Amino acid sequence: MSTRPPLGTEVRNVAIVAVVFALAPLAVLGSSYYESVLAHLLLIALFAVALNIVFGHTDQLFLFMGGLAGFGAYTTALLADALAISAWVTLPVAALACGLVGLLVSYVSAKRNFTVVLISILTLNLQLVFSEIFVGARGITGGSTGFPYEYFGLGVVADAVGIETKLVLYYLVLLLLVATLGFYLRLVHSKYGIAFDAIREDEVAAESIGIDVVRYKTIAGFVAAFLIGLVGAFFARESGYILPGGFTFIAVDVIVLIVLVVGGLRTTMGPIVGATIIVGIEEFLSSAQSLQTWRSAIFGALLIVLFLYFRQGVVRSARDVLSDVGLTDEPEGGGTDVEGR
Amino acid sequence: MVTASTLLGVAMDGLAFGVFLALLGVGITLVFGLGEVLNLAIGTFAVLAVLVATLVVNSGMGLVVAGAVALVAVALFGLVVDRTILSLVYRSDGEERILLGIFTTLGLTVFLDGVLINYFPSRYTLPLDVGTVSVGGASLTGSSLIIVAIGTVVLAVLFGFLRGTFLGKATRTVFQDERGARLVGVNPRRIRTLIFVLSAAVAGLGGLVFAAGSAVAVSNGFEFTTFALIISIVGGVRSLVGAISAGVFLGLVNQFANFFVGSYVATIILFATAIVVLLARPEAIS
Repeated sequence: MSTRPPLGTEVRNVAIVAVVFALAPLAVLGSSYYESVLAHLLLIALFAVALNIVFGHTDQLFLFMGGLAGFGAYTTALLADALAISAWVTLPVAALACGLVGLLVSYVSAKRNFTVVLISILTLNLQLVFSEIFVGARGITGGSTGFPYEYFGLGVVADAVGIETKLVLYYLVLLLLVATLGFYLRLVHSKYGIAFDAIREDEVAAESIGIDVVRYKTIAGFVAAFLIGLVGAFFARESGYILPGGFTFIAVDVIVLIVLVVGGLRTTMGPIVGATIIVGIEEFLSSAQSLQTWRSAIFGALLIVLFLYFRQGVVRSARDVLSDVGLTDEPEGGGTDVEGR
Repeated sequence: MVTASTLLGVAMDGLAFGVFLALLGVGITLVFGLGEVLNLAIGTFAVLAVLVATLVVNSGMGLVVAGAVALVAVALFGLVVDRTILSLVYRSDGEERILLGIFTTLGLTVFLDGVLINYFPSRYTLPLDVGTVSVGGASLTGSSLIIVAIGTVVLAVLFGFLRGTFLGKATRTVFQDERGARLVGVNPRRIRTLIFVLSAAVAGLGGLVFAAGSAVAVSNGFEFTTFALIISIVGGVRSLVGAISAGVFLGLVNQFANFFVGSYVATIILFATAIVVLLARPEAIS
């Protein structure tokens, strides 16, 4: 069953992450390039948290994160423009719309007993529909030329506080990440976490002890899709310009999957550790001109090797090592996990 | 007003596109039916065939030789993939194998795309210089006629192989009941290798057929894979006849939609069909 560390340890870990990332911009000495990299890292980690909830905990493989993120970002911007109101008002609406898409997908899939393959094929198809619409509906989305994405009036805050706009966005995203992790911890340490575990172990058995499988899966789908839509808007804001190419399957879903698996499915720290490693690799590759063109090849190879040999993830491996040498305060034997997939 | 002869021309091109879709669909269906591995790299196999054929053509050989070399090359590559990655995937079973199959073949697609784009940055085509053929006042694209002919012959041969030969019957045994096949002395792993290599070649042919009409870039690989997925969803992921009829049907639908409402809506219609079928009868896939 659940092999999570105690809640106290997890809260402490999240607090450490919050402090480290709050101080991180100081370490890059005001380089706006590295501030962007850091913001990108946090955004990828947020996507991975969402995927962790829906795929890690309830086995629903959502392969339309790019589409949902784009849907959230475009809806936020287009609604704000059309109604001439602040993007802060349209953001929750857009995220809610994304959440409803996720809710619908999860509900139908759970009701009809879709296997994980079916959900992945269904969502992959939806992803392609989203991509096609972003490019094709030129009249509304600007097609493949996109448009500048400078919403949320961050410049005002930046002027008032006296720091760069980039940093305002960074701390905003950090706040969102810490809040999301807090929410995640509440979720998995509550009856929801227990129900998720039971469903993942054996759906029929879970149903038989009175767990409403459809309801829990639908909730997980809604929460993840809502989060993805929300993060999508900041994702676009971070690059300052919105393009359909930023929300493709290869650009978002593949990377987030790798991040989550590297870090460790069903761990709290996994998304952050994974994002740090993957964004680190990305930065290393783009620093060397000769390696840059091989980025996609390297990530492809990484995906294969990870899934074949390293499905337990860095966080769990590290925990195993630590508990082997007796460096943790966890109960004996709590660190190992029989991979359930 | 659109004349009947124009419509006939569109139908012929639709059939040719349908042959391309059917070949890809058959490629994905054969492998999934046999070993529950959803080969998400199938589109890249098709692109690989086009690239190899382009290289051979550029070195001065004829189109037929180039096609043959390309198919052999893709088949060999399929063999390597089967012996390495898939061998590891087949070690697990059930849902875990399906997931592993998805992720490793997805990784393979990303990997191959990333490698190939470094060497083949532009778009490639293998034009069949046959002009147009006039049939009863309608001018039909010559290459479409040839594609339909090739497709029909290849699919017929494939059926003949599965129905008529011992090896084909052994393959169908594994399709129906793996344990039963083992009991009568059929080695499922060998059959899977054979079929995977065959599916790679069929997908390669699909790529060649497509390149006869349009240019192919490395980035088309994943698009081809999604086409293959749609075909296998609509036709049923274990049924060859389904894959072929779905391919031809959607090829026609796509070409007519292309002609009347434009390519963007046509593509959405394609995906929407897949989603509707998926929701209407999911049992065809699992």
